[in-house]
Amino acid sequence: MSSAHEHPKADIALRVKAIESLLVEKGIVEPAALDTIIDAYEHRIGPHSGARIVAKAWTDPAFKQRLLADGTGAIAELGLTGFSSEHMVVVENTPAVHNLIVCTLCSCYPWAILGLPPTWYKSFAYRSRAVIDPRSVLQEFGLEISEQVEVRVWDSNADLRYLVLPERPAGTEGMTEEQLSVLVTRNAMIGTAKVDSPKSERVASEAAP
Amino acid sequence: MFTKFEHFVATSLMGSPEEAPPRRNGHLQFDRDWEKLAFGIAIALSKQGHYEWEDFRQTLIETIGEWEATHDIQDPEWDYYQCWLAALEKVAIASGVIEDDELETQIKQLLDCKAPSIP
Repeated sequence: MSSAHEHPKADIALRVKAIESLLVEKGIVEPAALDTIIDAYEHRIGPHSGARIVAKAWTDPAFKQRLLADGTGAIAELGLTGFSSEHMVVVENTPAVHNLIVCTLCSCYPWAILGLPPTWYKSFAYRSRAVIDPRSVLQEFGLEISEQVEVRVWDSNADLRYLVLPERPAGTEGMTEEQLSVLVTRNAMIGTAKVDSPKSERVASEAAP
Repeated sequence: MFTKFEHFVATSLMGSPEEAPPRRNGHLQFDRDWEKLAFGIAIALSKQGHYEWEDFRQTLIETIGEWEATHDIQDPEWDYYQCWLAALEKVAIASGVIEDDELETQIKQLLDCKAPSIP
């Protein structure tokens, strides 16, 4: 005979099932609505959402204008909304300005469009040094910013989340929005990297491990 | 590749370090189907206004805190989504969306029904 104590793993799955079935019976939760939420968090929320925004801004000047004027509104046009991303400010990298995002207090992060933050973003070293000495922090990421370029550091908080609009790399003139979005990395949207020009081989065909 | 340290400290879903869910490449990582279900239910109930998301967060943080206070930090039994589920049960009952005894009854019924298939 099995008992709850001998099978904690089976038991816990059962507990969740019990909650779900109760809520469905009561008409509080619809299974389809649950599937939608789970699918969104599991598959759709990640850095590729931010990459879509960047690629659209690169190819659609009117969208870019709206994005820089009202990040939240423009991002919502793409159907991207979610907890904690209500107040999005998009800052544009140019030949004269490089932007970097940090949250010195904790870990505020535009996770609804960038997914979950990388380990280093949360580290004390990054949080404390990004504001004081951004150039040397960027150097550690392999990014040399010329003295002629102004580095602006944006400190996120509970109400304001920033996203860096990186510069469109050279050699991407004929590329579609979809092709461009593959080039955009999470770090580029935090400001700890630039977007590289496309390699000669097809980037999109690289399989995930 | 993921350490408990990362789960706890390195990242967080909603902005504070205490409630970091397992993730990979910026995506949430679910290892078991029930984790997805527990995750989805917690968000669905909050979305429908049965409780504030912040209440769930705080309950999750407290639940993880209680676990840490009673276990070694290296305890391999650590299970993020068990804490998540415990927090979900607490807020679902506290908000009145589920009654404590009806949940236990439901669990018993499912157990009876599923008992033969559990090895």
